[in-house]
Amino acid sequence: MTRSEALPHYVESSRLEHFVNYEVLGKTTLRVQRWRDQWKLARRRPRPNSPLNPPLRSVAHMKEIMSRHYLEGRYAAGVRKVAWVTSGAPTEPLQALGYFLVYPENHAALCGVRRKAQGIAEEAEHAGWSRDICSYARTDIGAMISGKTPAGRLPRPDVLVCCTNICQTVLHWYRVLADYFECPLVLIDTPFLYQEAHDHEVAYVKRQIEDMICVAEEIAGKSLDETRFRDVMTNARRGAELWLEVLNRSQHRPAPMTAFDGFIHMGPIVDMRGEAVTVAYYERLIAELDERIERGIGAIKEERYRVLWDNLPIWFKIGDFSKWLAERGVNVVASTYTFAWGELAPMIDPSQPLDSMARVYLHPILNRSTGHKLASMRRMVDEFQLDGVILHSDRSCKPYSLGQIDQRDRLVKTLGIPALLLEADHNDPRDYSDEQGSNRLEAFIEMMEPRG
Amino acid sequence: MSRVAAIGIDAGSTTCKLVAVDQDGTIISSLLEPTEPRVELQVQRMLDAIRAEHGANSSVRTIATGYGRKLIKDATRNLTEITCHARGVFRDLGCAGTLIDIGGQDSKVIQIGGDGRPVDFMMNDKCAAGTGRFLEYTAARLGVPVPELGARALSTAQEEPISSTCTVFAESEIISLIARGAEPDSILRGLHRSLVGRVVSMVRNVGIVAPLMLSGGVAKNEAVREMIAEATVEDVILPGEPQLMGAYGAALLGI
Amino acid sequence: MSEAATLSLPSRLEVVDHVRSLGRALVAVMPIHYPRAMLRAHQLHPMEIWGPPHVERHEGSRHFQAYTCDIVVKAMSFIRSGGLDATKAILVPHTCDALQGMGSVLGDFLQPDQRVLTLYLPRGRRSSDHEFLRRELGRLARTLVEVSGHEPCRDDWDEAFEAEDAADAALADLYRRRARLAISDRDFYTVVRSREYLTAEQFCDQAAALPEGEAPQRGVGLMISGIVAEPALFDQIEAMGAYVAGDDLACGFRRVYSASAEADPLERAANRLLTSPADPTCGTPIQVRVDTLQTRMRALGARGLLIYDPKFCEPELFDVPLLRKHLNAAGFPVLHVEFEMGDRLPYQTLSRIEAFVETLS
Repeated sequence: MTRSEALPHYVESSRLEHFVNYEVLGKTTLRVQRWRDQWKLARRRPRPNSPLNPPLRSVAHMKEIMSRHYLEGRYAAGVRKVAWVTSGAPTEPLQALGYFLVYPENHAALCGVRRKAQGIAEEAEHAGWSRDICSYARTDIGAMISGKTPAGRLPRPDVLVCCTNICQTVLHWYRVLADYFECPLVLIDTPFLYQEAHDHEVAYVKRQIEDMICVAEEIAGKSLDETRFRDVMTNARRGAELWLEVLNRSQHRPAPMTAFDGFIHMGPIVDMRGEAVTVAYYERLIAELDERIERGIGAIKEERYRVLWDNLPIWFKIGDFSKWLAERGVNVVASTYTFAWGELAPMIDPSQPLDSMARVYLHPILNRSTGHKLASMRRMVDEFQLDGVILHSDRSCKPYSLGQIDQRDRLVKTLGIPALLLEADHNDPRDYSDEQGSNRLEAFIEMMEPRG
Repeated sequence: MSRVAAIGIDAGSTTCKLVAVDQDGTIISSLLEPTEPRVELQVQRMLDAIRAEHGANSSVRTIATGYGRKLIKDATRNLTEITCHARGVFRDLGCAGTLIDIGGQDSKVIQIGGDGRPVDFMMNDKCAAGTGRFLEYTAARLGVPVPELGARALSTAQEEPISSTCTVFAESEIISLIARGAEPDSILRGLHRSLVGRVVSMVRNVGIVAPLMLSGGVAKNEAVREMIAEATVEDVILPGEPQLMGAYGAALLGI
Repeated sequence: MSEAATLSLPSRLEVVDHVRSLGRALVAVMPIHYPRAMLRAHQLHPMEIWGPPHVERHEGSRHFQAYTCDIVVKAMSFIRSGGLDATKAILVPHTCDALQGMGSVLGDFLQPDQRVLTLYLPRGRRSSDHEFLRRELGRLARTLVEVSGHEPCRDDWDEAFEAEDAADAALADLYRRRARLAISDRDFYTVVRSREYLTAEQFCDQAAALPEGEAPQRGVGLMISGIVAEPALFDQIEAMGAYVAGDDLACGFRRVYSASAEADPLERAANRLLTSPADPTCGTPIQVRVDTLQTRMRALGARGLLIYDPKFCEPELFDVPLLRKHLNAAGFPVLHVEFEMGDRLPYQTLSRIEAFVETLS
């Protein structure tokens, strides 16, 4: 038995299946579902017992877009070329070449939000992967070997593209995927920026992107269309700019959206940046946020404290945290994590696609120094008028978490605001203790009291 | 009319404490019992006793703290141990400074400001063996009663270093020490040193603002006290009733 | 042990005095790969820090969470306690996310008196990686001039490469001669690891002085893989009736480099680093690791693979299940154990190794 035969749940679809199940039936069903959701949301009145105001109406559209994406994924193998990519990978050329993109990290987060991650990760643990490795990796490896996924089915990759600008973990993780799927692995190695980027670092990344394009063209059996590529780049820039605007709307008091909403609404910019549908979606969302701002409606009913969230969300706790904190008058209005997909928008230059991509993909916050992250947090504390900072010490994400102890210390000592290091994990509920966590959060809120 | 102005309840993981204060914040009465499985019933019973003793009615403000605080339905308000310990110790010792509280579930270091409020705090890592529970657990394993732990650790100059940070590894380390025939007192000494080392690194992170103060059940342990003083080269001072500081602070916050 | 008498290694302090008398300043270096000859050409001498096992984590844990590996946390403790005061700079190669964090926190927050130097090591072996590494080494060289105040001339580079290539060759030769060396595993690895602080010449002398004869290895041959193993482990393995037939350790065989004859010093240094043996921190594909391990285990007579990892080492942990799967299929049992660095090995870990040896005999 070859290794690929050990993964019987990765099946190919025919063009007919793709057309009927996705193009016709799937898209129609999802549109009808969206109409139904819109109708419900439009009639939704504020609930007296909830500390939150009614959810954003745009959520119905987002649900449709994301579900459509995952639905197409079920029928993509055999019909479109499929690339599995890391969240920080330079995907624009792949999109222009017509690849269907799978983001294993986003898939793992989806498992987390649906509270399926632990069970799936245990499949990987039973196969020998240590509990000390990233819970995203465990979730996806577990899904790969068992076929368990709340997304129905993922398409088998024709190529893996791994970019180390978020961590080295992805390199080791994708080597495992490559071993199972026996498909090419393209590595985009992005030197960590301890200081400003040097020319040789930019040149290195650019050359690897060029090499990636060659491999992707060969697999796709066609050449990159310059015009199409520029269009994708233009959409990517526009999408990122709009996403940044969405986030900055929360500088208003009361903030129309929480960072927890942001964790959900970031789906399109992560999974579909470069697509027109993403641009259209964020335009719609901004219009709705502006309407809320004009009417003075905040995301939570009583915004007493405004707080920054650092690091990945605790996916399996998003809903609980959002409500629990809102009950105590805490609005988490910004996060360093959601900003990562918007703050580099000005660097994207469709007229110099490769040069600008090389710079963009070197500069995500996770590829920059711990001092740079502190500077970003301080700027956000100022711009968003924040009363405190929650630093999620994420056991699974070392590049994001190492440095937080010093960052916290500087925030407290130089800005004089409370900052809490909250021990948890982005996907593994076994690494978060509700009892200890809520106790610390309460003490943190009590410390903000005289300021509020 | 009763002198009782407020009652503080500290429903901790190991012990349950109640303190009643008068309008000036002086302790009128206090109770301390090992925590029972149904802490809400226990607290109700203790509350009834204290109210009956001082003729206080149920309208007297009661503030609850500690792990079981959410279960105390009678409480006017509940607050975390951080805020309550800071207030209690501040009032008892009359000064700002750095408070170390080693409890059953958590160790914490609290920097207390000039107004008796916490300025900053830090708590042990979820996975680090830096809590009172760990001492208790090892005491049981070595067959030493908890009140004797400190004295036994100080009774020897020999020390077996325990370097593991994770309870599972530390446990394995202790088992291998026992298997090699190490003296229980030397193991205890090493264990205390390791616990204090972790606490002191939290103290340094929060920043030492003298004096160092110690509250909570482990404050009674003389080895912990001595080793903290040794490691920080600071005097360590104790409130009169270190175990009651959470409940006392809670009561003060109710006035 | 009788053969212990044959080893007479200079202490670290003696080496410090010796290199100073040669006019070289000290640079503390974190694991794993770095350009040794480049340091020497700049009149600098590397002293490697592999987490000093006897150092406590406490001081380091003021910067890093409990889920950070010992090598990083203990090195941080060591720096904070003044252990590196004699050095002029600290070089932190980009080996993994944990060392990335350490390099960044050192430079941005702790800011020790020593200059903090970083080196990004590419994870591929393509021409783009080669070109990048050459230029990255050029950047490092410019900083080294600032640290040492010495701009190497052509002769300095030649002298440095000659000496370091000889020491690299001596290390490779030690591995080739292992079966003919009449020394215990503990002594063998003590000499191998003395490269972490000796000068190239001192190391060559040590390697040359080892007595040949009948090797004392008896019992079950093991291949040991991982980052670092302390000497006590080798005694324990011997006491269990086993011996180390070969290793795949970052502090050992993974640093058996091939010499390069390039004229350009940066090119030459880059070549050396990019021809190191299979190593997960360098991005080696799993299948390549499996093939290399199998071939070496057969050749060396190793019956099983012991993977011996410090806790929380992600680059190592990811490959373990697939190494086990593929090596088991090839008839080699695999045991994976994790440890915390310390003066002693925990009973649990040793029992597991002992049981593994029993199943192999």
